[in-house]
Amino acid sequence: MRRWTVAAGIGFALMLGARAISLAQTAPDFSGMWRLNQAKSSRAVVGNTPDIQFASQLEVRQTPTDISVTATSVRQRPVSATYKLDGSKVNVQAPEGITETGQATLNGSNLVITSRRSFSSPAGDVVVDFKEVWTVNGSELTVEKTRTQVGDTPSTQKAVYDKL
Amino acid sequence: MRVMVALATVSTGILFAGISLQAHHSFSATYDGNKPITLRGTIVKMGWQNPHAHLYVDVKNPDGKVVTWEVESAGPTTLMKQGLRKEDFVGAEVIIKGFLAKDGTPTVNASSFTLVESKKEFVNDEKTP
Repeated sequence: MRRWTVAAGIGFALMLGARAISLAQTAPDFSGMWRLNQAKSSRAVVGNTPDIQFASQLEVRQTPTDISVTATSVRQRPVSATYKLDGSKVNVQAPEGITETGQATLNGSNLVITSRRSFSSPAGDVVVDFKEVWTVNGSELTVEKTRTQVGDTPSTQKAVYDKL
Repeated sequence: MRVMVALATVSTGILFAGISLQAHHSFSATYDGNKPITLRGTIVKMGWQNPHAHLYVDVKNPDGKVVTWEVESAGPTTLMKQGLRKEDFVGAEVIIKGFLAKDGTPTVNASSFTLVESKKEFVNDEKTP
């Protein structure tokens, strides 16, 4: 009886290990330092008045269970978060005056990050929803970002980042 | 006398260069890219000047209070290229998409706006970094 229990335990452990290796092999890796490539990005992403703001640089650290993202831009305060890849909601470390929560999941070869940002303004409280779809292809990262706000039609822009 | 004229010319040039630099600032120095905002209101005044036209828009808050916003846009040449004229603005209802000023004042930089009735649109395609 004891032998059967031990064998079943070993079998189960091996199965879990094989599953973890399988996931690790198929999951895309977004780790690295990424810099915005203006030439390859949507026209409305760059310049003095972007349609949607994209970070100039992304620092990404990924493990099998979570992904940390620090987004920095020239003269703008950084935004960072460590997302659990199981899709659970986390607090985003946003600049003072901004409250933001977000969640991330791996969807095939894509990373999907959704977030909700709130801040006050002279027009009252503002709530903006973002959805980012990340795709990595070698040393190129593409981020498609959609911004949705009450009273407004959603807009989507694409940015391309090069790995440093 | 010639020296005086030359000095006066140079001084005037420096003075106006300073004004121009102050007016034509970069987006990131003045506006918060982390704070996008959409506003709807009525244009009460139009500053039709270079390098940026300015719209003054009355926006009603959820509590009923009306706040006049200053909206920085592209210059008249860019607006005219997109089919907009100075006389299109005052009194028109407008929807503006832009970014809040860092200083917390009711000021935005418009990435686009739409005049509701005439459906005339402005989309900023400025390439200047």
